[in-house]
Parts: sequence; structure tokens; C-alpha cells
Amino acid sequence: MRRGVAGGYPSTWLGTTPSLSRGWWFVVGSCATLVATAFTSPVRGADVEKGKAVFEQCAACHSLDGTGDYDGPTLKGVIGRKAGSLEDYRYSAAMKRSDVVWDAATVDQYVADPQAFIPGNRMAFAGISDKTQRDDLIAFLAVATKDTNSK
Amino acid sequence: MATRLREVDVVIVGLGWTGGILAKELSEAGMRIVALERGGMRATNPDFAIPLIRDELKYAVRNALMQNPARDTLTFRHSPSEPSLPMRQLGSFLPGEGLGGAGVHWNGVTWRWTGIDHAARTYYEQRHGKSFIPADMPIQDWPMTYAELEPYYDKFERTAGVSGKAGNIRGTKQPGGNFFEQSRDRDYPLPALESSYSQILFNDATAQMGYHPFPRPCANASRAYTNPDGSRLGACVYCGHCERFGCEANAKGSPHITVIPKAMAQPTFELRTHSWVTKVMLDSTKKKAIGVAYTDVSNGQEYEQPAAIVALCAYAINNVHLMLLSSIGTPYDATTQKGIVGKNYCYQPGGGGVTLFFEDKIFNPFMATGAFGIAIDDFHANDQFDRAAMGALGGATINVGQSNGRPIGYRPVPAGTPRWGAEWKKATAKWYLRAMNIGVTASNMPNRYNAYDLDPTYKNVFGQPLLRLTYNFLENDKKVIAYVGQKAAEIARSLNPTSMTGPGTLGDYNIVPYQSTHNTGGAIMGSSPGNSAVNKYLQSWDVPNVFVVGASAFPHNSAYNPTGPVGALAYWTADAIKKRYRQRPGLMT
Repeated sequence: MRRGVAGGYPSTWLGTTPSLSRGWWFVVGSCATLVATAFTSPVRGADVEKGKAVFEQCAACHSLDGTGDYDGPTLKGVIGRKAGSLEDYRYSAAMKRSDVVWDAATVDQYVADPQAFIPGNRMAFAGISDKTQRDDLIAFLAVATKDTNSK
Repeated sequence: MATRLREVDVVIVGLGWTGGILAKELSEAGMRIVALERGGMRATNPDFAIPLIRDELKYAVRNALMQNPARDTLTFRHSPSEPSLPMRQLGSFLPGEGLGGAGVHWNGVTWRWTGIDHAARTYYEQRHGKSFIPADMPIQDWPMTYAELEPYYDKFERTAGVSGKAGNIRGTKQPGGNFFEQSRDRDYPLPALESSYSQILFNDATAQMGYHPFPRPCANASRAYTNPDGSRLGACVYCGHCERFGCEANAKGSPHITVIPKAMAQPTFELRTHSWVTKVMLDSTKKKAIGVAYTDVSNGQEYEQPAAIVALCAYAINNVHLMLLSSIGTPYDATTQKGIVGKNYCYQPGGGGVTLFFEDKIFNPFMATGAFGIAIDDFHANDQFDRAAMGALGGATINVGQSNGRPIGYRPVPAGTPRWGAEWKKATAKWYLRAMNIGVTASNMPNRYNAYDLDPTYKNVFGQPLLRLTYNFLENDKKVIAYVGQKAAEIARSLNPTSMTGPGTLGDYNIVPYQSTHNTGGAIMGSSPGNSAVNKYLQSWDVPNVFVVGASAFPHNSAYNPTGPVGALAYWTADAIKKRYRQRPGLMT
């Protein structure tokens, strides 16, 4: 009922190489709006503040800064990271096997319907069917999960 | 030889909701606490992570999160004239074990009891006359009023993340809430959950009939929520694996994600798991506890933990067992009606419910939460409800919930369907999606013979006498079920189902099939040592440095589930210890 934009982004968009990721960070950080929204939402840009409110649904289990005791893996530095790759978190086999690298497109598909995108993963979340909310969330994550210590 | 440990301020026996609340409140006040939990450590990740937690066979059938009856159980008989036999498999009720206790595997229904329950004897005498109360029904008032407990109900609702709709805020009726609710200071912390189709049908049908439907308050978070202590709850995903399971989404208000981690963050708090308390140790006067004796069940090592305060926070049944094993207070004798400890055991009669089958409706029962539902209180908390017509005290709520649609346990089929074989298979495939249930949850008034004592024959793994339960349903219960069951059937008929089964009648209590884990009484609270085991602060009249916290304190059982007042009373007791007992130990008045 809510596969939403699965496949809606060109798979090469943003890319996953470190240099491209950094370039994307620059765009996001400077104007707080995802270029991606231009493909699907010409009227309204993604809204970081609204995304922060959407993130409250995630905050029960995920930290943004790697501190505290949470049931889910931290999202610090998640964009550009291979799914299931944090060494100190015990992921499901499904997540580790997934070959997904987190970027705006994969986060969008995952959050739209987590079990459809990576079947058998352990995240206890039904998904966000509203594309605008997902865009806002991704815009927020792009800013808030930035790992300033990583190279 | 037991190893004697260093004295602490408080030793807490059992770390579920009540123990967790005391642990947090008292450790944050700087008191040195040791909590002894007979089961193991638990955390949502990995213990309740999907997909493994959705194992119906392991958790719902084989009771992975519950007490092991091979180690300790209770014996049962219907009346003093019968021999008692040990319950070797769990059935009618499921005491939890392990960190969080039953607060992990409960469904989450979180009522506030009303003034009718808080002042049961006074209310029924005034409303229906003294002769309306049978001579063998020792009901009594709670020692505190609803108004006194209101802030503590509120505190518990906010801790546990209760979803609901207020019916009465500071005396003003609120549309959509429970019309018969007592006045409350503010609304629930979270809005009600989405209703299922069956709940919407029930809501509309009962409103049409002039009843007052409302969403049942439940500790299943309707949206993500951070409680006042900073504990984070996720949103319920309607997964249908709630009761008998831990919550994968941290959406069920549970002590292991709220109060217990807050206590564990305190330097003055220490948790010891696999620590089975066998006895409260008293000094030579028998008026003062000096600590508890416990066994580390992982290696058999015995310990003595001295403490200035002993807080019994085990499951209601086990609190009473520990009091009797430790000779705290006078054991109740049903023959002479002398003594107190073990008195007024109550349960929760069911059987008045109706299952409806519709050729033309699809209910998707797998979309379920432990506690969401629509209820009517017209035959329970309603002061205008004419109990003379029913001929009984108390009453029952009528509810449509849908706690699960799991493949092993949920197989509704119409009456007359064969129990197995091709016809059954055809029927279960057809009706799985097309059935809904209207439930009736009744109050239970005490009776002089419904009580606990120590079994003269059977012993647990530590060589101690098992707790013996003598219990049966009585005339009052049968009348409530018969009367309210007919009301449920009228509502059902108004929905024009293809067929329906029920309501049943209430016969003898059967301890084998699951009914509810709502066991109350045995260490009841009251206004004097003559009528109660504990005072209004749940403090033992006989041994004032022992507090006995939980549903064991209820003098009767309401038609409401017990956890709301259990949580409120735990906060109430913690407050009394912090603000009064600590400054001036001794019996509080």
C-alpha cells in the first residue's frame, strides 16, 4: 500500500563513494534542502525542522550522536555507511547481508516499508507512508547525523 | 552456611513494576538499595527483538517469560473439604519471572479504579442497604480515597505512556471519554490508539443503544513518547504479540525500559538477578525484620542480605507466600475466620463474552495490540446502574479488544463445528477473518473461604511448603456474569451477525485454561490491624519495616484490570517511605 518511491531515484544518484557523499553533505548542509525533492516534490522543499518532529518516531531506539543506551544502532554518520556495518552493534543477518549503503534513496525506501526493503531485519517499525514526511526526515538526518569526526 | 552481606537501607524483593518504581524513587533519594530478582536479566535488544520474539509456540504456549512451576508453584482446591493438589503446569494465570516481571508480558490495560471500589463497603451499604451484602462476603473500604491516590495514578500513567481519552477532567465531563470516570486532573499523556473495525462496530452499536462507549486506557503507546523521567517509548505497531511477549518496539509501558534503567543509573542501587528470596528474617521480638535470606539459583549459594527496610514487590501471590513463610502477621483461618494473612483472595470471572461470525465482514484480527479496545462501563462504575435487578454486588465492563490473531491460539469457529479434521480446517480458514468477540470482564468480591494458606503436604524446591489456594466462583459472580452476559448478547444481536456463540454461564472455577493474571488479595490493606495485613502505606501492621506492595493489598477485585492501582500504590508507598518513614521509622498513621 505504500511502496511509495521504491525505484523512484536513479540508482546512481548521489552515489556511494566517499567523495560524492561529501559533495552531497555540502549541498544539504548549506541549504538544508534535499536536491532530491526536485524529482518528486516540485512545490515544497524538504523541511529540516519538520523532519526533526518526524524523527521523534525513531528517537526511542536511535541516537544521533552515538551516546546513551539505545536498542537500535546509532545514526551518527549513517549517511554513506554500509548497512549493518557498525562493529559494536549486533545486527540481524538480514541487515548484514543486505548490501545496502545508506543514502537518501535507500533510507527513503527503507523507512517507507522496512520489511519490504530488507526482509527479516529486526527494526520494529511499521514505516512512514507519507513521502513528504520521509523527505523531511531525510533532510533532518542529513544534518543531524553528520559525523564531524570521521574522515 | 549462608554468607552474611553488608547492610543496605532497602532490600527489594522482585523487580517488576512495583519493585522498579520503589527502586527508582528511593535510589534517587539517595537510599542504598539492593534489588533481588529471582529470574534473569532482560533487555528489549536482544531478548524481545524481531523476528525471534514472534514465536508463539515458545512464548504464548510454552510460557518462556513465566515462572517455572517445577521450582515453585501453588496447590489448589475448590473448598476446604477437598484435598489440594499442586498446579504442575501454568494455566489460569501466568506469574512472570525475570527483570520487569509481569510488567514485561502484560497487555497494558491501565484503569483507574473509581470511588465505588475505593470505598466498597460504604458505597454498597449506602446505595443498596446493609442486607444487600452477603454475610460471608468480607468486603471493606480501601484505607485511602480515590482523591488521595489521584496524583499517583497520574504519575503512573505518565511513566507507562498510557494512551486514552479522559472522560472527566476536574469535574467536567469530556466527550469521547469514559462518562463514569472519576474526576482526573488532566488527560492521558497519549491519545487513544486507532480502533479496529470490530471496535468501531461495537462503539456505534452501544452508542445507538444509549450506552457510553469509550477507548479503553492502555499502556500501548499510540505514538512515540518520552516520559517525564526521559525514558523513550516507541509507537505501537499493532503486531499482535503483546500479552505473554516482551515488546519489540518499546511501545508497551514496561519497567525494564522505564523505571528500572533509571534506578540502575544510580550509584546507590544494585541489582542481583537469579536471587530467590526464601524468607524475611525477623529479630527475636518478631516485630522487626533484619533482612532477607536468599539463594543464588545459578549456583545454590545461600546469602543473608540485612536491610533496614524490606519491600516485598514480588507477584501478588508470592508476596503472600513470603509473608506466611516468614511468620509476618497472623495467618488467616477460614474455619474460625481469625487471622488476616491469606484472606480475601480474589480473581476475575469471565465467561459472559460473545463471539460473533459474519459472512460479509472482514476483521483482520492479526492487526492487534494488547490493550486497545472500546469499552462500556454502564454495568460497573455507573452509580445509576440498578444492581437490585442483577441481584449482586460489583458488575462487569463490556469490551471489544483484539489482543491477537495468532495462528496457534486464535481459531474462532461457530458452535457445532467439529473439533478437528477436514470440516474444522474448512471452518477455521473461513472464519478466522470473519469473527469478532465482545468480552465481559467481571468484578470479584471476597468470600470467607476464598483464601491462601500454607499447604500441609507439598513443598517447593527449597523444601518450603507451597502456598495453597482455596477458591471457587460464588453466587454473586454467577449473577454478574449471567446479567451482564445478556447485555453483551443484546449488543451482539443488534449487529446482526450470521451466527454467534455465548454468552456462557459461570460454573466452578477451572484452574487449567488461561483466564487472566489478575490475582488479588491475601495481604490486604485496611484501616486497622483487625481488618488488614498492611496499613494505608502498605506497611505491615505487625512488622512495620516490611512493606508489601502490589495487588496483594486489594481487599476485593474490581471489574477493572489491576495494574493501574498497582502502579499508583507503588508510587504512593515510595513517597511515604521517602518523605515520612525515612525521617521517622516506625508505624505510620
